[in-house]
Amino acid sequence: MSSATWLLTRRTLIQFPRNPMVLGFSVAPVLMMFVVFGALFESVKYLPGFPTDNYFEYLAPAAVLMTTVPGIANAAVGLATDIQSRYLHKLLTMPVSIGAIMAGRLLADGMRLFVQAGAVLVLAIALGSQIASGFAGALLMLLIGALFGIVTFGVLTANLALKTKDPQAVQAIFPMAFLLIFLTTAYQTEAQVPSGVLRAVMAVNPTEYVLRAMRDLMLTGFEWDSIGVAFAVIAGLALTGLPLTIRNYRSVYS
Amino acid sequence: MPHDPIELLLGFTLRSSERVDGDAIVVERLEKRYANGTEAVRGISFRVRAGEVFGLLGPNGAGKSTTMGMLGTLVRPTSGRAIVAGHDVAREPKLVRKRIGFAMQEVGVDDLATGSELLVLHGRLHGLSRREAARRAAILLDVFAMQDVANGRLSEYSGGMRRRVDLASALIHLPDVVFLDEPTEGLDPHGRSAVWDALERLNDALGMTVVLTTHYMEEADRLCDRIVIVDHGSIVAQGAPSDLKRNLGASDSVTLEDVYLHTTGRQLEVAA
Repeated sequence: MSSATWLLTRRTLIQFPRNPMVLGFSVAPVLMMFVVFGALFESVKYLPGFPTDNYFEYLAPAAVLMTTVPGIANAAVGLATDIQSRYLHKLLTMPVSIGAIMAGRLLADGMRLFVQAGAVLVLAIALGSQIASGFAGALLMLLIGALFGIVTFGVLTANLALKTKDPQAVQAIFPMAFLLIFLTTAYQTEAQVPSGVLRAVMAVNPTEYVLRAMRDLMLTGFEWDSIGVAFAVIAGLALTGLPLTIRNYRSVYS
Repeated sequence: MPHDPIELLLGFTLRSSERVDGDAIVVERLEKRYANGTEAVRGISFRVRAGEVFGLLGPNGAGKSTTMGMLGTLVRPTSGRAIVAGHDVAREPKLVRKRIGFAMQEVGVDDLATGSELLVLHGRLHGLSRREAARRAAILLDVFAMQDVANGRLSEYSGGMRRRVDLASALIHLPDVVFLDEPTEGLDPHGRSAVWDALERLNDALGMTVVLTTHYMEEADRLCDRIVIVDHGSIVAQGAPSDLKRNLGASDSVTLEDVYLHTTGRQLEVAA
């Protein structure tokens, strides 16, 4: 990491506690949804072939993604605020690369989400879940969740911020993140999904492949094949989205 | 041990051999045409000598801010050439950015930061050590009479305070060339006078080249060694304020405002 990236990451990290509403509202609803959904859909675990007898164990990886994917949009809200306040332009007059400005913002929010998603796993354990891959697996699950949030919704909302320069436009796209997660096996196994169309959509939804790796870490242990697929999906999305984002950064002023 | 903050800053001055000699800025047939077809700048040429305070004057929409943007590497020129502190703005923007400071017309500060944090961050982004950045930040906050609010959030600063901290952040790395777009806009007369004083002292002590735009003719007359007046993207007059006034009339009562009105045919926005 370049020193400029670290300085800009640190800038955002220092400022998180100054906006406690963001910290609270980016994790509290997920914790509540985790408990509510877990109670509502618990009977799913009695269906034949369900991989665990504790539904919270099944649900926990999805709850991690529900923290990291929509939560990373806060980075784009910050970016849009920097554009509106003209602070981004100030940074662009300094010897700092666009990549460092972008990475600084995304990494800080990625670190925040790593910790906040960790709270979801702590709650899952408190509700009787066990993580098959142990502490190291939990960290890997959080890393995959945070990276996936950055390269999907982080990149999408950053580009939206760069194009619209409007924090409200960025906030308006939040529900898309939940759609991305709902169209997976987040709440029930593939066999339990009633529609063939839905199963076809799940098959092309990259979130599904990341979720499978995270669920393996939760329920069975280190399944390197699925972990490899998850990182390949993340790398593919990063290679596609990040250059586009850097190009849009360059277009902000002239 | 010096007590004057400017003298303290001198302790950090770059060796004179590292400063630009001769022309700090060379602009040749510089043009900017935006995607919507607007010709903001139409082939302007001028030079700014090292250590000079140089003014870009003109009505709103004349092309001043676009010119500043091109010189500050924020706006890519359509054609022509601009060399700032020895580097081409189009080909070597990163090298230019190392040697310039930029305070924009619309103040760009980070509302969640404190004044001190902002200055230290900017110093560090320019490659200063934490200790050196903190020391310079404290001195500059003193220069701009802001030491009392150094640890306050920028969101709580008044408009004038935000402008002053923005100015200070443009100076933290003691750049060769400082671009100040309307540096005293929105300041009360006392604040304006304080900024003028600080800029004059910094220019005298550190030999920085200063390029500024302003609507205040009094400001241009007091600070600028030379000015250009821009209208519709072209230069309509350039020279030392005293020469421009002399050229307009022999009377001592001729002011820079008279020169401005004569060359642009427009009233001053600030006066209007």
